[in-house]
Amino acid sequence: MTDVFTQQLSEQIKQAASERRTLQIAGSKSKVPLALDIEEVSMLENSGIVAYEPSELVVTVKSGTKLTDLITVLAERDQMLAFEPPDYGNSTIGGTYACALTGPSRPFRGILRDFVLGTKMVDGQGQPLTFGGQMIKNVAGYDVSRMMAGSKGSMAVITELSLKVVPLVEEVTYSLEMPEAEAILFMNKMAGTTLPLSGCAYYEGKFFYRVFGEHQKQDATPCDNSVWLTLNPFQPQLQDNQKLWRVDTEGPAPSIPNTLAVGMCGQRRWVLADEAPAPYSTQWQSYFAPRDRDPAPVAKIKKGLKNVFDPHHVFTTL
Amino acid sequence: MTIIQELKHAFPIGSVISDTEQCTPYECDGLSAYKEKPMAVVLPDSIDGVKTALQICKKHQVPVITRGSGTGLAGGALPLKDGIVLGLSKMNKILKVDPLARTAVLQPGVRNISVSQAVEPYGLYYAPDPSSQVACSIGGNVAENSGGVHCLKYGLTVHNVLSITVIDMDGHVSVMDEKDDGVDLLALMNGSEGLLGVIVEVKVKLLPKPDTAQLVMAGFDSVTECADAVTSILEKGIIPAGLEMMDRFSIKAAEEYAKVGYPLDAEALLLCEVDGSFDQVKVDTQRITDILQKSGATTLRVSQTEEERIALWQGRKNAFPAVGRFSPDYYCMDGTIPRKKLAFVLEQIDTLSRKYQLEVANVFHAGDGNLHPLILYDANNPGELQQTEKFGGEILKLCLDVGGTITGEHGVGIEKLDSMCHQFPEPELKIFHAIKNVFDDSGLLNPGKAIPTLHRCAEVGQMHVHNNNLPFPELERF
Repeated sequence: MTDVFTQQLSEQIKQAASERRTLQIAGSKSKVPLALDIEEVSMLENSGIVAYEPSELVVTVKSGTKLTDLITVLAERDQMLAFEPPDYGNSTIGGTYACALTGPSRPFRGILRDFVLGTKMVDGQGQPLTFGGQMIKNVAGYDVSRMMAGSKGSMAVITELSLKVVPLVEEVTYSLEMPEAEAILFMNKMAGTTLPLSGCAYYEGKFFYRVFGEHQKQDATPCDNSVWLTLNPFQPQLQDNQKLWRVDTEGPAPSIPNTLAVGMCGQRRWVLADEAPAPYSTQWQSYFAPRDRDPAPVAKIKKGLKNVFDPHHVFTTL
Repeated sequence: MTIIQELKHAFPIGSVISDTEQCTPYECDGLSAYKEKPMAVVLPDSIDGVKTALQICKKHQVPVITRGSGTGLAGGALPLKDGIVLGLSKMNKILKVDPLARTAVLQPGVRNISVSQAVEPYGLYYAPDPSSQVACSIGGNVAENSGGVHCLKYGLTVHNVLSITVIDMDGHVSVMDEKDDGVDLLALMNGSEGLLGVIVEVKVKLLPKPDTAQLVMAGFDSVTECADAVTSILEKGIIPAGLEMMDRFSIKAAEEYAKVGYPLDAEALLLCEVDGSFDQVKVDTQRITDILQKSGATTLRVSQTEEERIALWQGRKNAFPAVGRFSPDYYCMDGTIPRKKLAFVLEQIDTLSRKYQLEVANVFHAGDGNLHPLILYDANNPGELQQTEKFGGEILKLCLDVGGTITGEHGVGIEKLDSMCHQFPEPELKIFHAIKNVFDDSGLLNPGKAIPTLHRCAEVGQMHVHNNNLPFPELERF
């Protein structure tokens, strides 16, 4: 059974495909302004919780639902999204999924797609499709639901998501002043202990770490949890000529010059530089813009998958 | 040259097996009801060797069945008569351990348990622990997205793999990484059952070993009470490391086998393990004990020592062989269901058990809804395997009807192809075939497994006829 929104969406896509027009899928447009000359498919109307079973640890939600609304509903039952999505201002769960965005807890709890159990979508031929389900364990068929995380609206319109949720925990943050290189080493050593960590970062001369649950008294300064919101999403004021890079790297990798912040236990660095400072660097101002950097065999696979789901290239390719 | 001559020419002596007798160990995997001898078995010891084998097979248009340790339970590594088995057991080296980054780089034939053994000196371990972990290989784990008793808390294989190196039929090497931008190919490869590429290297996440673990065992007068107790634990915000349920038959079988002190008068048994820091485990154990008492547990026991904890697990860990002692053969199912439907599903299985005159024991990964009914049968009785498979098929349909899925962790292989027709409609199946074609346009990688053809689904004949519309109307029916 498809709902009215999905039926209309399907018609809109079929129409666009037959007229060889392109469509751009939009949530709250909190991350990127849309192109002016391409028809927009707004997902905001497609919002709300479809099903929520706290004891089954699963929530099913429509893709246009605001992150804040979803997080509030979960918090009422003492649960949360483990991947700690960044909110760029009214961001939706669909947009967060499309961009595969995960917050500071990543090294400890995992990335967004780890918590995706199932999706409903409409592909580039207007076909409603369902992959996965509401089960925590499910290995029937290829894992299309997880694969689509990060597809940035280029393959199908995601209409519904089922996500694994986890218990809400109380967290406390501690800080220590130390040089960056020392902090990077320290946080990785700490992550190899049984201290229940959910965040490790370095910002403005301080090493910050976040702990949940029962733990021993820490030899560090307790502080409030606001630093994690500063880093997630990290949006520093930049001058016009400055380029900010998001660098994904090994946790203990050495310091990179002109680093503004170290997040995710060293796995993420925010760096000012004119050129890419390391492999897996992304110029952040253009993160959501098209780019092509995959080696040939991977690029071929990704192109092939795009054609499976969107053979007429109805959706803008990012 | 024939393909066998060409393979023998390219590989050292002993690396290509074509003698029928010597192929016998490769004729089946853990689903031993199905057997087939391959044309030959190739055992490369390097990435270059895999490339060479694939290129030769491509040239001769011969199918390739990649095999790790052959412990899979769904027939995913069943050979084809006219195919080659690509055995990766010689690629069994741990290439790198980085204790600070908490990662390890492994060849695909590395056994699951040997990863944890190798990193133990650093206080680390590899979390996914399928019951076959002493034998199963890490490459096979990725191909099947294997689970284990601890995956409610620590995740499946897909949650613990950081990158893989994959070779396609043309010998192209791709690295698929968690850090990649765009669609998540690494996630797609997990559980793809050898149909999309050959995994030749795996980088895994390592976790700090918990300081301690404690097991709480509780007996209940009814399955419903036991399932409700699990619900209460999860609702109170505790995620146990292990949360296992057994029914009366399994309890009896396991107790007779392992003699660990399971309550024989209980209708359902719950084993609930918490791990972590000493402080956390102490608090959680107390909370769980309170919840279980309030939930009507008739017996309650908390492990006081590490030896006692391990002993109490022995019954559950040996539940399959224990049940197996009651019958010449047993057939292990692997559906998942919403936990709130457990009592209903067990009741229905009981009814089916009487209908088919075949006994069933049930063990259940209660935290994540993964049910393993074990159907007891005797393959020597003509027709009994077929009856058992039919019974199994009905159980999987039941799982689907209550909103679950046909396989939680064992995979589809050849075993659940028909059930796949019930789980997925035509458009989704077509997408699956198209995905396969993107990765393997030759169709030579493990053909015929995991995804049923549309023809097969049309012929399954048990399809739901919705609003009198026959599914796949464009296909002929024989």
